[in-house]
Amino acid sequence: MDVLALAEGPLLWISLGVFAVGLVTRAALFLVESREKDKIFWQHFKWKWVLATMAKWLVPANRTVAKDPVFCALAYAFHFCLIVAPIWCLPHIIYWETSRLAWSFTALPDGLADWMTLAVLAIAVYLLIRRLSSPDLRYLSTASDYVLLVITALPFLTAYLSVHQSLGTGNLLGDNMQLIHILTGELMLVVVPFTKLSHAVLFFFSRAATAVEFGRREYSI
Amino acid sequence: MEPSTRSKAIMEFLKPRVGARVKSWLEICTKCGQCADTCHFYLAADRDPKMIPAAKVKYLSEIIRRKGEVDDEFIQKAYDCIYHECNMCRRCTQFCPFGINIADMIALTRALLFSQGVCPEALRSAIKNYHETGNQMGVSEEDWLDTLTWCEEEMESEIVGLKIPVDKVGAEIMYTINAREAKFYPQDIQEVAKIMHVAGASWTVPSKRGWDDTNLSMFVGDLKTSRTLVENTFARATELGAKKVAITE
Repeated sequence: MDVLALAEGPLLWISLGVFAVGLVTRAALFLVESREKDKIFWQHFKWKWVLATMAKWLVPANRTVAKDPVFCALAYAFHFCLIVAPIWCLPHIIYWETSRLAWSFTALPDGLADWMTLAVLAIAVYLLIRRLSSPDLRYLSTASDYVLLVITALPFLTAYLSVHQSLGTGNLLGDNMQLIHILTGELMLVVVPFTKLSHAVLFFFSRAATAVEFGRREYSI
Repeated sequence: MEPSTRSKAIMEFLKPRVGARVKSWLEICTKCGQCADTCHFYLAADRDPKMIPAAKVKYLSEIIRRKGEVDDEFIQKAYDCIYHECNMCRRCTQFCPFGINIADMIALTRALLFSQGVCPEALRSAIKNYHETGNQMGVSEEDWLDTLTWCEEEMESEIVGLKIPVDKVGAEIMYTINAREAKFYPQDIQEVAKIMHVAGASWTVPSKRGWDDTNLSMFVGDLKTSRTLVENTFARATELGAKKVAITE
């Protein structure tokens, strides 16, 4: 079996499995441990506060947007493109169609998927410059903050280079860009449940916990 | 204290208290820095990065990471930060995209240090007073009643018929004060008595534990004492059949 087949086959399923099972496990562990140790959260739990906080923070309708509109606009755009582009881009859908699952769904126009990929990259560069240029963020940041930003951006960079064959052919990088894209994508999926990227699910729990705490005290949630 | 004994005690304290919320908060913070300029300590310190709320939880995360193996110097640094650089106002949380409750984690760190015998001296003596007399200033029941009596007598020349009703069963309002008033500012008690009298309020003041409405033990995370103080006040209100508990300004 050659490396590409390995990356497209077993490694892909393993990384998707680690990603999905990992995130579900994180959610389950939160629920189990909070039942035992965060009783105050469950004693006061009300859906109205939880839903209100999601409505405010999943979309740009909160006070942080008013405080720092540029950062927030870019952060929301970053997350939107980061989630939508990989799920609805044509090459990925073709992969699902030809897989055992034979899933098929409508793809984004290629041009739009391209722009979304470039948006992720441009915003990732902005986030990196922001982190490097602000004394505050340099003070707060650890190595993992930089590494995870790179790990997040790499699948998008390699996707663009692979689709457009920007590096040409006849060289090691150019010839293997698709393989590199798959491997970097798998790397990102695998690290999500074990790092701060676990905010993919823990965001909801953290916001809910604070919404309940603030809701019962009649603070702004 | 022996470092190993301390680390064991620290971890025993933290184990039931570091739940799913705290663990998630410590992990998912993306260091986006949005909390920085929401903090008055940060702004007042000319934007010193050390004052960023997200940076202040590093003591708690370090203690957990090192499994409680921290020396006196570290404890002192943590103490300086959690008492002098954060007053747990929760403003940072209101701007955190994840709603990370930094104040909660500072409160937990204060409680942890208190469990190790570390807290501001003034609060330590207030807590001792709470245990001995039920109020932060250590005013005895005899002195408390004496203060109310002379306050009342002094005002009689000003307003005829003015009374400070003590332990009056069936009064609508049970009035409580900050024990500092009994010790240093009795004129505050007199002013309130005048207002109550003129307003024709049905009110009373309890003679037993529960008349001090301060709860300074909360600031060191001594929740057991905190609870006792609140229970005292509610017990007096129940005994007297008061409908409302009013607290001093």
